[in-house]
Amino acid sequence: MGIVLQNLQKIVPVKRSRLRRDVETLTHIMGIQKFDLGIICVDNRKMQQINSRYRNKRSPTDVLSFPLYQDLRPGKLPCPLHKDELNLGDVFLGVEFVMSRCEEESSDLYPALTVTAAHGICHLLGFRHETEEEWNDMLQKETYILNEYNRLTGSHLVPLTKKSSQKN
Amino acid sequence: MLKHIVRAAGAAVRVSSATSSATTRTLPFSCAALCSPCSVTTQPITRALWMLSNNGTSTGYRPKLFSSKVIYPSVSCGCGALHTEGDKAFGDFLSDEIKEEEKLQKNKSLPKMSGGWDLEMNGTEAKLTRNMSGEKITVTFNVNNSIPPNFEDEVEQGGQQKLEEKSEIVSAPNFVVEVTKQTSKHSLVFDCHFSEDEISHGEGEEQSEIFAIREVSFQPEGDLDWKETSYTLNTDSLDWALYDHLMDFLADRGVDNTFADELMELSTAVEHQEYIKFLEELQGFVKCN
Repeated sequence: MGIVLQNLQKIVPVKRSRLRRDVETLTHIMGIQKFDLGIICVDNRKMQQINSRYRNKRSPTDVLSFPLYQDLRPGKLPCPLHKDELNLGDVFLGVEFVMSRCEEESSDLYPALTVTAAHGICHLLGFRHETEEEWNDMLQKETYILNEYNRLTGSHLVPLTKKSSQKN
Repeated sequence: MLKHIVRAAGAAVRVSSATSSATTRTLPFSCAALCSPCSVTTQPITRALWMLSNNGTSTGYRPKLFSSKVIYPSVSCGCGALHTEGDKAFGDFLSDEIKEEEKLQKNKSLPKMSGGWDLEMNGTEAKLTRNMSGEKITVTFNVNNSIPPNFEDEVEQGGQQKLEEKSEIVSAPNFVVEVTKQTSKHSLVFDCHFSEDEISHGEGEEQSEIFAIREVSFQPEGDLDWKETSYTLNTDSLDWALYDHLMDFLADRGVDNTFADELMELSTAVEHQEYIKFLEELQGFVKCN
């Protein structure tokens, strides 16, 4: 099945085929094409609801990941026994949140969504950023993915983890 | 295209068993009003009169054909039709019901669709049309049988407080989008449905898209009959990438989540308007004004 894309919001018009193409490029780079994963576009209201329910944070955010395999070692792909288990989980993209950031920075939506999706998919593969070591591992992975993406598409994308560290 | 009508009829069969308990709107008529006045055994009112004439017994004595209370109306009228005390009570009930429904009506006029759509009504069928750079886009839907059952909510709600918070009735009809190019003899037709999550939960818990494309087909332009011999693409087992392109195609022509939301609002208003009209007609019929 591959990528299952859903658009549950109406605030930001999303070109689904464009988003799919960008995420498919990412999954090829990461070597996870044989796995299913969900990309779900939501608005701030929905994102805040999910963030509140699962992380006890009452604010919207840019991305939330729900890995099917919760104890993966970062970078190790799961080895499912059945075909049905070829699924990594879901990434919720806060498209309204990302759009607002793009407007502030006068940048384009789709590159920003690609960077955000790359970050979310890394979480599905067991990467975290709670400690400095985890942060570095994740930054390294995202940098590799986006460098490859840039090489293939002529883009100039920067990892989300790096951006966050610059801000902090 | 008549496809949505055929679909609506199908939906009617599907939901008929659940509809009575599904909506918070209680149907303001009993079987008695719709049955033939001669079918004594099935009409509560006639049966009540039967019981009176028998002193409470239902066996033995049968009323004569022209015995007084059974046949003659208790309220007379020049129209020559039957008027019973029940009809009077029914008429009064309808009068109250109409007043209540009119109070609930947010606006007498129908909500406008953004994006320059022209609305044309034909009874319960609505047709939205817009022209875009040589293309004509038509969206049709019928409000009949468009209120989905939400009895699950009633079961889940349980508590007294929640029972008091009745969910609003929402009309979510299947709709057919027809895209016609000037240069083509065929129209590309999309059969679209609202997702059940969107309708039943409304706020917050939805996990599905607002609407989905079920089928896509080419149909002869302007042909009212659905040509079953045209290949019909079913999206159940479709390549997701193709599905996304089809959704983008519709979005480029103004049929997106915002449109679907506004269509639901419009359909809800039309359905309510038609419901009030029906009650008024029913009241006129019963009362013989």
